[in-house]
Amino acid sequence: MVGVGGSSPLVSTISLNYFFLCYSYLTMIKVYKAKSIITMNPSLPRADAVAVRDGLILETGSVDSMKPWLENNDYEIDEQFKDSIIVPGLIDPHLHPSMAAVLLPTFFITAMEWRFPWGDTPATTSPEDYDKRLKEALTNPTHKDIFITWGHHDLWHGPMSRSRLNKIESNKPIVVWNRSFHELCMNDGALDYLGITEDDVKGASQIDFERGRFFELGLGYAVQKLNPYILDPEIFKEGLLKLKEVVHFGGQTTIADMAVGLFNFDNEFDTQLELYENEDNPFRVELIAHATALIQYAGGSNLEAEKLIAKLPERNTHKLNFRKRVKLFTDGAFFAQVAQLMEPGYIDGHEGEWLSTPEQFEEVARIYWNQGYAIHVHVTGDLGLELALDTLEKLQFEKPRFNHGFTLEHFGLSTPEQVYRLSKLGANVSANAYYVHELSDLYANHTVGSERASSMSRIGSCFREGVTTGLHSDFTMAPAQPLMSMWVAVNRVNEKGNVMSPEERITPQQGLEAITINAARILGLDHEIGTVRAGKKADFTVLNKDPLEIDPMEIKDIEIIATVFEGKVFPINKK
Amino acid sequence: MIPLTIISGYLGSGKTTLINQLLREAKNPIGVLVNDFGDLQVDAKLIENKDSLTLSLTNGCVCCNLNEDLGSSLEQMKEKDVEAVVIEASGVALPIKLANYGLTWPGYSLSGILSVVQGESLINLLSDKFVSKTVRAQIEQADQILLNRFQDKDKEILSRLNADYITEKEVKSYWDLIFEEITPVNCFTEQELDQHSTFQSSVLSTDKVINRNRLERYLIKNSSIERAKGWIRDEGGKTWLLQMNKSECNFSISSYETNTRLVFIHTQDLDLNSLDPIYS
Repeated sequence: MVGVGGSSPLVSTISLNYFFLCYSYLTMIKVYKAKSIITMNPSLPRADAVAVRDGLILETGSVDSMKPWLENNDYEIDEQFKDSIIVPGLIDPHLHPSMAAVLLPTFFITAMEWRFPWGDTPATTSPEDYDKRLKEALTNPTHKDIFITWGHHDLWHGPMSRSRLNKIESNKPIVVWNRSFHELCMNDGALDYLGITEDDVKGASQIDFERGRFFELGLGYAVQKLNPYILDPEIFKEGLLKLKEVVHFGGQTTIADMAVGLFNFDNEFDTQLELYENEDNPFRVELIAHATALIQYAGGSNLEAEKLIAKLPERNTHKLNFRKRVKLFTDGAFFAQVAQLMEPGYIDGHEGEWLSTPEQFEEVARIYWNQGYAIHVHVTGDLGLELALDTLEKLQFEKPRFNHGFTLEHFGLSTPEQVYRLSKLGANVSANAYYVHELSDLYANHTVGSERASSMSRIGSCFREGVTTGLHSDFTMAPAQPLMSMWVAVNRVNEKGNVMSPEERITPQQGLEAITINAARILGLDHEIGTVRAGKKADFTVLNKDPLEIDPMEIKDIEIIATVFEGKVFPINKK
Repeated sequence: MIPLTIISGYLGSGKTTLINQLLREAKNPIGVLVNDFGDLQVDAKLIENKDSLTLSLTNGCVCCNLNEDLGSSLEQMKEKDVEAVVIEASGVALPIKLANYGLTWPGYSLSGILSVVQGESLINLLSDKFVSKTVRAQIEQADQILLNRFQDKDKEILSRLNADYITEKEVKSYWDLIFEEITPVNCFTEQELDQHSTFQSSVLSTDKVINRNRLERYLIKNSSIERAKGWIRDEGGKTWLLQMNKSECNFSISSYETNTRLVFIHTQDLDLNSLDPIYS
């Protein structure tokens, strides 16, 4: 070190540190001891030490068993995790950093508790507490001069109105965004600040100017006025930095942005590159392009869009990588109740939505299939799934492929017959298990009835049919906490405390597979991550309890002590 | 208020052809919004829009697409001096959702929904595993259907669906079809109009509120009016569906939010000014 520094005064501290890190990784072996290591490697399921060098695992076993490595090399035994459980670094194979970046800068006042690295958002469950909390928080505007809060819910917090907000504060602009995202309310200050007058919105039936309420399409009008603040580049960056903390806090060492281009392709990529490609970032980001969003950069042609997507890996860096993967969509969103359903459809008879015609979907899927891509398809309803499967069957007939990575994303409603069929066609499933927790009671009573609502996210059947099945958060749709996803899939307990279709529960072992090795397979990275074994990247998540041994109902409360990304320890600070 | 018309119809039904026809007939600039998810710019390019304005937009509910393309396009259109705006819906759009923009977006009023149906593919689409319900909804939600490349059996299918259709051969002016003749009412089927071929029809479209009782008295008193159908908005802001013929006059409460739009079928000239007493 001294020699290097002395020979060249121009060497900066950063490159010096970098040199030092590489130097130490190259030579020094680090052995982490643990109470137990759950390797997820079926040939050696448990170990109590793992040796790491240069970001890679050299050997998993015991300090004794790895002696041949240690004899001729410098090594250090690290005992900081000796009372902890090490599992493979957790993987979330489907979330949306850009949506998170919009939501996270708002101030959360919510009826449910949200756990964040910067502190928990306590449950606020009465109108009085809501107003009190809002008043206290107002001193720090969230978006330039505007204070935007998210999470208001009539049921707990009472009806929101302009006059109610004005009583708390009428001058400083306040925007209260509903939990559902489908409604917001402004005080006088916000209406003034955004220049919205009664004349502007006269006759608009989904805007109640008197009460300051904007809902459904009226919300669109308000959002359009708020966009300069919500999508402001500095605030967007702040949101992505908060997401970085959230991802680390959830114990994740790999995430996938499962639709790059949702808002603005270049901006999303450039900002993630700026914020996530550095030594301090504890995770890698797999980037999967949103095929439809790329069309606008390709003169409107799907064939040209494929050529653009084929070149995206040229942008790859150490932590941010595009592969031969693409994201397509069949039907509408599950939370918004516009999934396409087979008979007997929705109880109230409303229709789901397609995001493109079946002909267009097939045409686009064929382009990517024939070029050898792994195709990730957003499917939420059983009819949306049926379209994906009919298309896959046709493509298999035209150009058979094996281990092709065609993945059904979300997997809200399905039938047992579809699970059998998708297994035969070689598809993978990346499921959002959280639907069962948050939506199954609502869907049972109001939307599709009990039988179908109970079996949403039909994950047990997938495991029985031998389908490679992973779990994701689709954050911000569910908390970005893989142990929470695992907890739901293992217990299938909904928000009312009822167990929904216990036959579709999976074992804790399967649950852990779903957030480690299976998630790695879904991203095509199972040769590098997803288990703890010699030759893989040294990505670990360190837990205070053994998720395969404790009461399954406690899985979500396991404390994450640290993550290790490519051999580097990133402790999680307790707040 | 800028009148907004939704042009709906499944992929390949002839929406773009219709819009090009419309643009050729337009005397003043009109705005065209193309709402498609696939090769959207190709569609936009197909529209030969010389003096008018065309914007492409992608779909997505506001909560997952904060860009709010459609809304911001409507705002942009307000800045231009357009006489009317038409939205070319995507092949799988439910037109009623887009029509809501005409009913709710500040500065716009809904002119109506026109769905284009291609006879050749109608039977197959109505029994298609994936899109039968979507196509049926496009027909049922339309105020007017334009039927092209058809046979007699296709007319029968549309009649069975109670659709109000006009065939491409019968269209004299696309401009009038869209901005004069459509009223969001599903007013009269072609057969009904045929029966009334010796009669005239008039359309009342107003944002003034109407007194239901006075309207009823007016209709009873005016013996020239054979039939009336449509929606009215009353003093309380409620919308009522009116269906009146020589033997009865029915009002039923409607969840459809709209300004007053009535079609009258009458034997003698009807002076719309004579309607003054019905306003409250």
